[in-house]
Amino acid sequence: MMPRRKRRAGDRQVALVMLGVTLLAALFFLLSGALFGLRFSYTVRVVALGGALLGLLSGVLGCFAVLRRESLLGDALSHAALPGVAIAFLLSGRELAPLLIGAGIASWLGLRFAAALLATTRIKADTALGIVLVAWFAAGIALLATIQSLPDASQTGLDQFIFGQAAAIVESDLRLIVLVGGALLLALALLWKECKLVTFDPEFAAANGVSSGLVQTALSTLIVVAIVLGLQLAGVILMVGMVIAPAIAARQWTRELYQMVLLAAVFGAFAGGVGAVISALDSDIPTGPVIIVVAFLLVMASIGLAPGRGLLWSRLRRRANRRRFAALYTLRALYRYAQAHGGASAPVPEAFLRGIGAGSASLGLRQLQAAGRAVSSSAGWRLTAAGIEQARRDQRNQQLWDAYRLHAHELDAPPLAEDRARPISELLPAAALARLERAADAC
Amino acid sequence: MLAIERALIDLLLLLFSREELNAFLRSPQNAATIIGGFIAVSGALLGTFLLLRGLSLTSDAISHTVLLGIVVAFLLMTTVFGLPGDIASPWLILGAALAGVATVLLTELLARSGLLKQDAALGLIFPLLFAIAVILVARFVDDAHLDEDAVLVGEIGLAWANANSHCLENCVSVTVTPAHPAAAMTRQCVNCRALGISPRDERAEFAEVCGNCGAYPPAKAYRAGLLEQEPLLVFFPKSITVTLLMTLLTLAFVLLFYKELKISAFDAALAQSLGLKPGALHYALMTVVSLVAVGAFDAVGSILVIAFFIIPPAAAYLLTDRLSVMLLLSPLIGAAGAAFGYDLARGQLFGILPIGAGIGALNRLLGLTLAEQWNSSVSASMVLMMFLFFSLAWICSPRYGLVAGLMRRAARRRRFEAQVLMAHILNHQHSARHESELNIASLHEHFRWTPRRLGRVLSRLRARGYVRIEAGAAVLSQRGEMQARAFRSTLR
Repeated sequence: MMPRRKRRAGDRQVALVMLGVTLLAALFFLLSGALFGLRFSYTVRVVALGGALLGLLSGVLGCFAVLRRESLLGDALSHAALPGVAIAFLLSGRELAPLLIGAGIASWLGLRFAAALLATTRIKADTALGIVLVAWFAAGIALLATIQSLPDASQTGLDQFIFGQAAAIVESDLRLIVLVGGALLLALALLWKECKLVTFDPEFAAANGVSSGLVQTALSTLIVVAIVLGLQLAGVILMVGMVIAPAIAARQWTRELYQMVLLAAVFGAFAGGVGAVISALDSDIPTGPVIIVVAFLLVMASIGLAPGRGLLWSRLRRRANRRRFAALYTLRALYRYAQAHGGASAPVPEAFLRGIGAGSASLGLRQLQAAGRAVSSSAGWRLTAAGIEQARRDQRNQQLWDAYRLHAHELDAPPLAEDRARPISELLPAAALARLERAADAC
Repeated sequence: MLAIERALIDLLLLLFSREELNAFLRSPQNAATIIGGFIAVSGALLGTFLLLRGLSLTSDAISHTVLLGIVVAFLLMTTVFGLPGDIASPWLILGAALAGVATVLLTELLARSGLLKQDAALGLIFPLLFAIAVILVARFVDDAHLDEDAVLVGEIGLAWANANSHCLENCVSVTVTPAHPAAAMTRQCVNCRALGISPRDERAEFAEVCGNCGAYPPAKAYRAGLLEQEPLLVFFPKSITVTLLMTLLTLAFVLLFYKELKISAFDAALAQSLGLKPGALHYALMTVVSLVAVGAFDAVGSILVIAFFIIPPAAAYLLTDRLSVMLLLSPLIGAAGAAFGYDLARGQLFGILPIGAGIGALNRLLGLTLAEQWNSSVSASMVLMMFLFFSLAWICSPRYGLVAGLMRRAARRRRFEAQVLMAHILNHQHSARHESELNIASLHEHFRWTPRRLGRVLSRLRARGYVRIEAGAAVLSQRGEMQARAFRSTLR
């Protein structure tokens, strides 16, 4: 019997996001038919499907590039494909499969060159990638220029590798994409554990008998294949965005690799499919750029909205925290000032409270007033008896925490996680508390 | 711009005659080499600091996003301000420089949110800006000179043809008016087209129209036969002036801020504590990089321009440890690449080795039918030459090169072999078993060496006088014994 997979945290949330994006795509396709009068002819269907498939593949493999901090690898490798395309064209003309094989070989050689540079010199990764990018691209341009100067060559269409052209995808290409992409995903599934280890902790992987270099090369090779396939969609220059944007968006929603990969696949497919359809609306709109803009919007939405990490979320949390601690901080400030100016119930002028932070002070005063801890008078704010009592208890609690931090090991007190908002007297056993109180009074 | 060119020409005319100057500048090779040389010098100087700060790929990003600046400035000029769409306008250069700085700013803004890494932020922002630029060009710009093709892939081999003419003597501009003797007056129907009638129609109105009226600058006037004497002209490629200015700007920037750049390249925290404002310097550097990228993209294309930023400094980085030497070497490497690149594009490696012959040999060897003529992109060939120099530096660098590394490893192995053997002899030569342990016929077995390897090690040690062979056994000489003991004491 297969062991049942334990449910991980966030499974439901990720599933919801995936469902949401799929619904959004469906909505878009419906609306684009109704609003823009787009007919889903055979060509548009093929292009949309091709875009979605290629987006899915690059999204999945992009996760590993992003997590290994090799985001710009995609940039270098896509540029490095160009000489392979040119040579394949010289040898066998405009067949997609040989062009892709040539592109793959050229990128792969570039990758090995960069790896050799990194291994034998002190040149850093970004420079090594930059060298490969531009030298390989220059070789490609030189070859293309030569091809164009040949009298009998019809070089039309090679440009689509530089800028990408989803509209050129035909059904036979689709079959090739499905075939290669399926093999790619299968290989990734088989190497899943190794790839995961190598991505997060190559030393640990090596120590556990995973051949780190071999798996890294295999993983990079898979990335190369995904990039080369995607070139017809986004083109050499924009491919890097196609590779990393879905992964970055997915990263915002989850901490689990498999969830991230699934999400990136959906995001990539969304960007690829929707982008391809938008650009099919008008012959003036190039495909690659539209896909990149769609993918970037996904990233922005994720960065903004993702629970736990997103900007909106962290702003809300900061506000909640401020609300939570405003009363306490204001109470302390009132008590300290009053103590220094003639006793616990002395009035505290408004101006002083504004000085300690206008927003949180007025918020805190409102909360204190509602709880009956402080009252407003003509001379300023004054603590009530209940307020003074609470301030004293808080002060004592802080003293005890200070003593605990200093003397816990001498007092044989049980280990506690420091949480100064809670009263320590509720956390410690009575004997330890008594020892702690003596220590606090002694110092 | 024209005034600067004129001043330059006056300066050059002090040294050369007009004919020499024209002949020199009308040669595609000379123009390409000069422009490439200027780009190489400014790119290499700035690239050195980019490399040391780990920003090499930022130049890649900037060189792409300048397209957005150019396109937005162009659209603003033509639609909002109603100016004529001039592709050489300084406003475009300003827009491009702003776009470059915006790239850096946006990247840092994204990275500072902590939600994604610096490299991911860069890889996200620059395709986005470039994509927006391409969409804008495709939708709204209708100008043959401004498309992503032209920006990405320039051709430095054609830079000579894009020249301004400067008149030195017999500079007569002619304005042809209807009263001018050369004016070609014809009677034409002035309202035929508007009314859609034939000239025979009775409503047709006729007027005398001047066919060639207008202002003629000297060169055009001479060609139209309006002048007796030929004006003396100098043709000056536009890119030379632009790239010269960029080079001067770069030189001034590097010389003025050398100390600040140096300290913040190696130790940004120290620079901060010395009050050198590394942040402001960073943006200044990025602005200069953007300006150079803009000045160069016209000639070499925006992808290949990054080669001038990345490859020469990387080659120099392999050759030296000193910043000052690096700043001298990397422009030299870049300029050499530019100088030999033109020959490569025309099929001559270093001007000596013909590439066509190589392809011919390949054809015969593999039975291929590749064209044997080689006529390629000059800018790409310059990059390839720089890459060749980089590879040479990688292989041959005295300190960091592959060959030096191999030699170092071999020397270390020889030293190790000698030490192991001498220690073995020292351990056993006065012991009871010295005959069996030190017999040279079986000595190699103790180290699991081949006999040949032992022979090599022994002969090296004998040549240096550390080891003697006595009665078929290896014995340390006095010097050898001192060596071995010294080595052994370092182990303790």
